[in-house]
Amino acid sequence: MTTITLANRGNTTFEVTGRRPLLDELRDQGVDLPFGCKYGGCITCAAKLIEGEIDQRSQVALNNRQIADGYVILCVARARTDCVLEIGTESHDRLYRNPFLDPLEPHELKADIATAKETPDGLHES
Amino acid sequence: MECCGPGYASPSEAMKAPREEILYTIAIYTGTGIQKPDYLCTIDADPASPTYAQVIHRLEMPNIGDELHHMGWNACSSCFDDGSMSRSYLLVPGVRSSNIYIVDTATDPRAPRLHKTIQGADIKSKTDLSAPHTVHCLGSEIIISMLGNAKGEAPGGYLHLDRDFEILGRWENSMGDIPFGYDFWYQPRHNVMASSEWAAPNTFMPGFDLEEVGHLKYGRRIHLWDFEKKEPKQTFYLGEDGLIPLEVRFHHDPDSTHGFCGAALSSNIIHWWQDGSGDWQWEKIIDVDNEPHPEWPIPVPGVITVILLSMDDRFLYFCNWLHGDIRQYDISDPHNPKLTGQVWMGGLLGKAPEVNGLQITGGPQMIQLSLDGKRLYVTTSLFSTWDNQFYPEIRTNGGCMLMVNCDTENGGMEIDPDFAVDFGKEPNGPSRCHETRYPGGDCTSDIWL
Repeated sequence: MTTITLANRGNTTFEVTGRRPLLDELRDQGVDLPFGCKYGGCITCAAKLIEGEIDQRSQVALNNRQIADGYVILCVARARTDCVLEIGTESHDRLYRNPFLDPLEPHELKADIATAKETPDGLHES
Repeated sequence: MECCGPGYASPSEAMKAPREEILYTIAIYTGTGIQKPDYLCTIDADPASPTYAQVIHRLEMPNIGDELHHMGWNACSSCFDDGSMSRSYLLVPGVRSSNIYIVDTATDPRAPRLHKTIQGADIKSKTDLSAPHTVHCLGSEIIISMLGNAKGEAPGGYLHLDRDFEILGRWENSMGDIPFGYDFWYQPRHNVMASSEWAAPNTFMPGFDLEEVGHLKYGRRIHLWDFEKKEPKQTFYLGEDGLIPLEVRFHHDPDSTHGFCGAALSSNIIHWWQDGSGDWQWEKIIDVDNEPHPEWPIPVPGVITVILLSMDDRFLYFCNWLHGDIRQYDISDPHNPKLTGQVWMGGLLGKAPEVNGLQITGGPQMIQLSLDGKRLYVTTSLFSTWDNQFYPEIRTNGGCMLMVNCDTENGGMEIDPDFAVDFGKEPNGPSRCHETRYPGGDCTSDIWL
């Protein structure tokens, strides 16, 4: 079992198994969470990971900038360690951006079309 | 005509129908932070009524997070000769959940009730389809464009339902080389259907990344289908002139081959027709210029998110959701449209931030025209995630509906000063309004065989 702390819900804590998506594990314990597609494609259930590790390999909604900003897709994310999360639309301050005012860099696109970013020591990171 | 089924014998008969007294409009909480179901509003549109221009009933769906979007009738004028059919049910799909709600509007038209739910999970397991969009009845049956497979990948296909709303399977025999789906309309006397392209659900649902257009993740084609063979037969590659082609409308006149589509990002109107030698041609007939914005590094595109034809095929209406204007063009000559009316509400250019005492958040978006062509109802929300990107204040302000009076003699439009529905003041908090239908049929539903 791992412990999930909801930072913007008075630091309330919940024990989860990590075997099912966090959306299901938390909703089963009475946490009111937004959601839509339930397959990791639509971003409605996005939350912000403040601390900890999460497996969200099957999400396809987030671009690399959103991932770098800590967003996780709860309907497919499983906890690997104890985590601290901000949930709900209050956590979406950096999730949505006007695409004309604030364009993405090539490495910030979704994983399937992003180009590798040059790093100062000549290595690439995706 | 009492012997007959639903709808009207012809578009000109439809124009003589009684005035609409109530409207059905979608309102959503998905993506707003309010943990309530999306719902179907009944709005009083009778000027003689004490509750005129108010929401008089709300039918909440049984789930949250559906994102109700577009709707369609179980029957239209395509079953006018079928006395066993009636326009009694509104099909209300949820784009995100893939649930499809069948709403009974006949038992009590002012207070519609849920008749049946087609579960998104059933649709996915039986047809490998998701993300329902456009609903058209097909004689006594129904087809719905589905924008993705069960995993949200393009191109999806068409869900086929029988008259009792049981899943028959997929309607199409082949998607050919079509990369994306979105809207469709058919013109049976010419055995043709036209379909347009948004993007894969996994691309458009999380929001709009402009860069993905260049990576070919968004559509730029219109497809013509052999309607009887249920397979595509010709593609118009529109290129830069046709980025993100959305709403597709054929002329209401069933003998006509003329059709129109709004390319949202290019902000162009595309027109197609069959020429004298039987070949299908297309051209760009309207090009909305980008407008400078004081704070933007690049000019703002209009973003034409909807188009609509009056029942007599004389006027084309469309909205520039980012600019904030609604336009009326006389398309009596479809090759040479003439701008005859323009009004402003909301938008990013600051031309009309307040109308009828209402602060307008968002821009003009979905429109529905009365059958007689005189009243155009307009709502402001596009799609929850895209709203959140372009008009983030809509989360606290909600959407709104206005009515535009249209001059059908000389052309021209004027926002009605006495009609405003403020969805910012809904009982459960600010919601966002989207598509509108009328119980007696409307200008985006009926097709004549």
